[in-house]
Amino acid sequence: MIEILQQIINGMAIGGVYVLIALGLTTVFGILGIAHFAHGSVSMFGGYLTFFFVVTWGLPLIAAIVIALLVGLILGILIELLAYRPVRNANHINAFIVALGLTMMVEGLNLEFFGHEQVVIPTDFSWVFKIGGVTIPELRLYTILAAALLIAAMTIFVEKTKTGQAIRAVAENRDAAILMGVNVNTIPLVVFSISTALGVCAGVMVGALFAIAPGIGEGLVVKGFAVLILGGLGSIPGAVVGGLVDGGPARPGSVPHGGRNRPDGRNDPKGIRRAGPQLCNACGGLRDLGGGGLRVRHVFGQYPECGCALV
Amino acid sequence: MLTVSDLRVSYGQIEVIHGVSIEVQEGECVALIGANGAGKSSTLKAICGLVTATSGTITFEGQDITNQSGHNIVRAGITMCPEGRQVFPQMTTLQNLRMGAYARRDDEQAIDLEEMMNMFPILRERKHQAAGTLSGGEQEMLAIARALMARPRLCIFDEPSLGLAPKIVAEVGATIKRIKKMGKTILLVEQNSLMALRLADRAYLFEAGEIVLSGTGEELQSHPEVVKAYLGH
Repeated sequence: MIEILQQIINGMAIGGVYVLIALGLTTVFGILGIAHFAHGSVSMFGGYLTFFFVVTWGLPLIAAIVIALLVGLILGILIELLAYRPVRNANHINAFIVALGLTMMVEGLNLEFFGHEQVVIPTDFSWVFKIGGVTIPELRLYTILAAALLIAAMTIFVEKTKTGQAIRAVAENRDAAILMGVNVNTIPLVVFSISTALGVCAGVMVGALFAIAPGIGEGLVVKGFAVLILGGLGSIPGAVVGGLVDGGPARPGSVPHGGRNRPDGRNDPKGIRRAGPQLCNACGGLRDLGGGGLRVRHVFGQYPECGCALV
Repeated sequence: MLTVSDLRVSYGQIEVIHGVSIEVQEGECVALIGANGAGKSSTLKAICGLVTATSGTITFEGQDITNQSGHNIVRAGITMCPEGRQVFPQMTTLQNLRMGAYARRDDEQAIDLEEMMNMFPILRERKHQAAGTLSGGEQEMLAIARALMARPRLCIFDEPSLGLAPKIVAEVGATIKRIKKMGKTILLVEQNSLMALRLADRAYLFEAGEIVLSGTGEELQSHPEVVKAYLGH
């Protein structure tokens, strides 16, 4: 029972990330009918940017996230204006091709600016909560809470504000929305800035929980679309349910371990991550080394102490 | 109030409206009648900014609104209740009505909402139901109420009786009469010519993208050509 609960909690963090990605994709799809493939790469860009601000500029994490969000908003607006707007009235295949090209461009930019090294956004959240036998690393808990907060904010925005209702109206019937007085030229800008901001948040979460590396964004966007198909294209509640279902409980073996970590281990007193028993990335097994600590970061091959033969 | 002069509209290379002029006075109910494809709806769409006029001018209350974007025309005071109802299917009745007031910034929207639900009691019953699940007649009432929520000075109805049962058609006619009594200016497009001519103060007859006849509702009702071709007796 405890294990199942633990799995669900573990799954909720990554599920929350999926939901955020899927929310961005679903709003864009609902409004413009575009499969915005570049979303995952843009989201990784946000993660990279946050890492860059924290590590290179030494900004506090929150400040770094806020700046990354602002850059994300602008990037979203630029993507809409420069990439998608010119093909809005054209055949859908054009937008499809633009989306694919954009993915390559953003991936290329990420590589150019941030290099090919895998990076992890350093955080100070090293505490581990233990509630009735279930272990929740602080970082994971904050991720779940932040995702929940963003999902709630998005729902309230769409359901309760005039702009949110206009977004829905354009998605359901564009011409009728014009007749209500909705400016259908500004709505896509709003949608893209919101969706990109959600993507940046997801990127930061992935970067803090796991790692950002080239190619991860593409995997994430595929996941996002899987979630969307599960929950229904264009549907916000569907995206939430789909993301949580897909998040982890269904596939325990593939749930990556959480907790804070840095490639150089500097943040780690005694070099031990206090993350309690966790899943090992390589073998997928649950291992506890005792002493309340477990070191698993097979990705970097730096903490082979988990004893896993696959490292 | 609304003056359309020498309006021309093309879809691609094909011109469908060949220089149409219409005049609507304040407080009047003007009907556009004619067969399918005669250009009535295209004229309305040009007025509402949904299609572009290739030439001609449209002025509303002295303001030139030719080829303005749709949302600016709504803000100028023209609202269209579109053909085929066009409600937002997954939004509730209440959300649909609120969307009608999207362009408004005043604080009397709640009062108007109440008023609309008094005018159409069925909408109050269906308040929290998704609009797509309403019957055709109910959706038409919702579309009319939604249009009125904008407090338009000119209200345009595009084929409000299309695809409805005869009993509901009569209800729609009665509703438009009520709206007329409220003092609203109405521009009505109908294929149900008899109903349109009974409601209208004045009417224009469209044929193949041109106005071939105009006059008061009674005049057209008794005009031999109209009787023969459109009223069928």
